Amino acid sequence: MNALALRIEAVAAGRARRRRRGLALAGLVALLAIVSAHTVLVVDTDWERMGSLGAVMKSVARFLAVDFSLIPQLWEPVLETFMMACIGTLVGAILCIPVIWLGALNVTPSRWIGYPFGRFLMTMSRSIHEIVWALIFVSAVGLGSLAGILALAMRSIGFIAKITAEAIENVDPKPIEAIKAVGGSKLQVLRYGIMPQVLPVVLGTIIFEWDINIRRSAIMGLVGAGGLGLTFHRQMVMFNWPGVTTVILAILVLIVIGEIASHYVRKAVT
Amino acid sequence: MAILDVSDLSVRYAGTGREVLRGVSFSVDAHEFVAIIGPSGAGKSTLIRCINRLVEPRGGRIVLYGEDVMAMTARRLRRARRHIGMIFQEFNLVNRMSVMDNVLSGRLGYVGTLPSVFKLFPKADIRRALEILDRVGLSDHVDKRADRLSGGQRQRVGIARALMQDPKLLLVDEPTSSLDPKISREVMGLIRGIAREFDVPVLCNIHDVQLATEFATKIIGLQDGIKIFEGPTAALDRKKLDEIYAMEVL
Repeated sequence: MNALALRIEAVAAGRARRRRRGLALAGLVALLAIVSAHTVLVVDTDWERMGSLGAVMKSVARFLAVDFSLIPQLWEPVLETFMMACIGTLVGAILCIPVIWLGALNVTPSRWIGYPFGRFLMTMSRSIHEIVWALIFVSAVGLGSLAGILALAMRSIGFIAKITAEAIENVDPKPIEAIKAVGGSKLQVLRYGIMPQVLPVVLGTIIFEWDINIRRSAIMGLVGAGGLGLTFHRQMVMFNWPGVTTVILAILVLIVIGEIASHYVRKAVT
Repeated sequence: MAILDVSDLSVRYAGTGREVLRGVSFSVDAHEFVAIIGPSGAGKSTLIRCINRLVEPRGGRIVLYGEDVMAMTARRLRRARRHIGMIFQEFNLVNRMSVMDNVLSGRLGYVGTLPSVFKLFPKADIRRALEILDRVGLSDHVDKRADRLSGGQRQRVGIARALMQDPKLLLVDEPTSSLDPKISREVMGLIRGIAREFDVPVLCNIHDVQLATEFATKIIGLQDGIKIFEGPTAALDRKKLDEIYAMEVL
């Protein structure tokens, strides 16, 4: 065999090897899907209790109505949900400041202790679910919207702090050099060299987080932390299916309003 | 009398350990316009940044108005910096702030930290900023954002900011590298003009030899971190130039 034939053999063998590897991976994924489906759907689901297809459709159909008598009672929880989101975001944004200071590599007071600690706080805030935060604060400060506000604030810190810290790390060093050169103090470097550069990103992120917090705020009541979630829960336990739909629609309207507002405000600040 | 006296200055970069400046000595007198010329990588920018300690020298002495710059504490250094105007190659403006705010930032060393956080400057500073903006020809752009201006206009903002400091020395780092030849000449003319008006000595990095000989009263030639020429502009002849730029000619 000549050299070219050898190379053809080698390339073909490589391609076959990669194809086999791809097939093996696909097989593994399929096996995982089948095993999961079996345990969850076949073993765990109570097919007996579900009854016929008609019964399932009938259960779903119960939700296809609106309970208009509920609307007058919805104003207060809607407002509460909205304000929880606003205050929670604001408190979160304020609590962010020390976390950002610790967790941005170019401003942190200590690279070996402060920086990892700041990063840890950011990750912790995001990895604990808002419902879990709400459960913690309901047991700490009792039922009501205060627990919800604190839960939203804690949950918001992670994202706002992470994005802001990264924006600070990627800041253009040239204006900073200029502020140092005119004799500016550390705080002045922060105010004139760094802040104008990161402010649009930070405001955009806070508004984005506020938008998401309206969603989160709507379910806080499920664990007793105020807002529409409590109304939702009440309709559910009273088996008032049209009432449940009404609350869901109220949440939807609130979220759409929040989304529209956030779109325009974000445009205005960036 | 020498306003700035630099002796045996040496700088070594922390990362690579490369010696950027080796035993550089020179002085700047009142009314002088000193140009530092040399090929890129010769250490011109580093040399200028040592004077206000944006770069920390490893050894040597820098005496400015009779004070030892290298011995200064952080606090003392900030007070010294407020009298050292600096003009940058890429202007180093705060892009998202107005021209007025950028010019006023030249007063940061003079105003208290708390008022400055709220951009509160005395009326006298605003009046002075307007006068200076008139002088550099930017009266029509006071409230524009800095990033809305052209390159030449932005450098004028940079010059105005340095003037706001009431500088006793102007450090100028390649002021024309980001500008086209015509604007470059205008900017150099403006720097020389204000230096005369305000009677401030200038120490200016510039790789463009023609501009250097046109505007400077004294030339310092730097090559590979070593000073190989210092003298009045008239003394810089063809032979000396070839020596300074020897590596580039090859």
